[in-house]
Amino acid sequence: MAFSTAVPAGERLPVTVLTGYLGAGKTTLLNRILTHEHGLKVAVIVNEFGEVGIDNQLVIDADEEIFEMNNGCICCTVRGDLIRIIGNLMKRRDRFDHLVIETTGLADPAPVIQTFFVDDDLRDELRLDAVVTLVDLRHVLQHWQADEVQEQLAFADVLLLNKADLVDEAERAAIEQRVRAINPMARLLTSTNADVPMQQILGVEAFELERALSLDPGFLVDDHDHEHDATVGSLALVEERPMDLDKLGSWLSELVAQRGPDLFRMKGIIQLAGEDCRYVFQSVHMLLDGDFDRPWKPGERRRTEFVIIGRDLDAAGLRAGFAACGA
Amino acid sequence: MAAEPVLVNEQLSGALQQPITALAWSPDGELVAIASGGGELLLLDFRAGCEELLRGDRDQSLDAIGFSSDGQFLMAVGQAGELLLWELGGSGVRPLALEPLALGAGWLDAAAWRPLGLLLAVAAGREVRLWDGASRQWCPQVLDLPGTVQALAWSADGALMAASCNGELALWQPLASPAPPPFRLATASAGLGLAFSPRAGLLAAGQMDRSLLLWPELGQGTPWQFSGFPAKVRLLAWSDQLGSLAPPLAVASGDTVVLWSQHDTGSRGWRPQPLLWHGARVNALAFAPGRPLLATASGDGTVALWDGNGALRQSLEGDGQGFNALAWRPDGQHLLAGGDQGRWWLWPVA
Repeated sequence: MAFSTAVPAGERLPVTVLTGYLGAGKTTLLNRILTHEHGLKVAVIVNEFGEVGIDNQLVIDADEEIFEMNNGCICCTVRGDLIRIIGNLMKRRDRFDHLVIETTGLADPAPVIQTFFVDDDLRDELRLDAVVTLVDLRHVLQHWQADEVQEQLAFADVLLLNKADLVDEAERAAIEQRVRAINPMARLLTSTNADVPMQQILGVEAFELERALSLDPGFLVDDHDHEHDATVGSLALVEERPMDLDKLGSWLSELVAQRGPDLFRMKGIIQLAGEDCRYVFQSVHMLLDGDFDRPWKPGERRRTEFVIIGRDLDAAGLRAGFAACGA
Repeated sequence: MAAEPVLVNEQLSGALQQPITALAWSPDGELVAIASGGGELLLLDFRAGCEELLRGDRDQSLDAIGFSSDGQFLMAVGQAGELLLWELGGSGVRPLALEPLALGAGWLDAAAWRPLGLLLAVAAGREVRLWDGASRQWCPQVLDLPGTVQALAWSADGALMAASCNGELALWQPLASPAPPPFRLATASAGLGLAFSPRAGLLAAGQMDRSLLLWPELGQGTPWQFSGFPAKVRLLAWSDQLGSLAPPLAVASGDTVVLWSQHDTGSRGWRPQPLLWHGARVNALAFAPGRPLLATASGDGTVALWDGNGALRQSLEGDGQGFNALAWRPDGQHLLAGGDQGRWWLWPVA
């Protein structure tokens, strides 16, 4: 299933999804977003009403409700409450220019993300800007094994390591390393009281294909994978030889058909044989999207970089399958 | 060849501050209510020749409005989660606002007066609640659903109420004595629109999974299921004209309108006729009372008028803004349309 739409990104309303385990500081960040002088009129949908504590007409309560679109497959679950509430809200879309959705601390981010790619109306009217996940530096290790924590880390485009004032530098660095092992792609920020520049959170454009991959430079070392201490981990694949698009497409289609529920996100920049342009690719569970991007720049290192974030990844099998897609 | 007579050649227009979300006529056709995404509610009184803004712009949407069957009450629900009611004294008498009733169930966007009497059904989260205009109180009966109520509808005789959520359609007889338990039908997805036919006892449900379900015998029979629509099926309207068997049914899905007619009672007895003309999503559709004329309104800035055979008779434009809502006056001679920039138009239709 592709997740693109014919409507240009600039005509669609940007949406930020705010996740984070209980107590990570989501409400504090929401209050900052609502009171900050960033010149944006932001509408906020919350799942835990009353906590925001701001009398604001654009804070809207929604009661989390998962709709299974197709035989209960996790890849086809969407959030019915968001479809209804955003449908109502979009009648007034000229009244605001950014939408923020706060999920509960125990929510799986995948149905929220999929809603914006699967629903007919929302796909054409909105664009997912980024998934922002708050991490409570003080307490996150206590909940580290919780599925929700690992999913929220895995799906993030921006990871905000919050409550930095409550840990020392060694503790912070250790957590950063563990977070990076699960998600090497996200922009990493550190904050106290969720005090962070708004432009780092809003307007990230993480789901725009041309921004497909921005890896921590230290992470992308050949033959190096990061799945030591958790069932959720990541794998970086690098290939110097040009790839074959047909082979790659078949491999990916089969991969998501078999392992879709365990593959949280994939992103890649692909060097194709006989093509002067980069090919960029991303996925969320079984939703795949790929397209030709800009030409390779002179002097740019032409190679394929591919990152997979998922649960119980079979590193050897994935490496072999990927390597077989060479042209 | 003689020219087709022109259906519309004059109009009345006005504007609210925010996009128009809902329109309603009083049963006698003398009053019209117009609601907006900012929570404005305008009442036009044609006999007295005046208008009153019952509520101003407060940046919280109103999404469903309606007059009770005897014209005594006007209701409105929306983003604030309250049921708003006005008691109407007739033309020229100022409406009296009742105390707002908070439901504590978040954004309210579906409510419908029973076609007879003074009962109002309100979708509030995972419940359908009933407010009784005679006692001015909530009724003790409540219909519970396993998910958030997406749509509700009364049968033409007011005996049966249908409500849908993801995976279920419930049929309820709140006034029967003793009241039987609700009859619950499993559906594959969420019913986004529900409509009982004015006669012949059919119930239509437009589904999120791009299908249309049609039950005979007020939901008790085996349904027809039609799939393959281009988008979710959200809007349904029955004609009050008799077809060869059932009355015609108009359905909107994305920018497509489909006119369904029944030719025999078999499994293949329903025939679709796509009405392909709009260039953007169809946001409202309604048959004119008492005549074979269908109006469809689209975000493309046009309202189209179709005859009973599905032929486009005329298209109407406002000032370019997209259309959100439509309502025919009960006489079938006047069409009210609301725009997505707040302007409304009233067209006499010959």
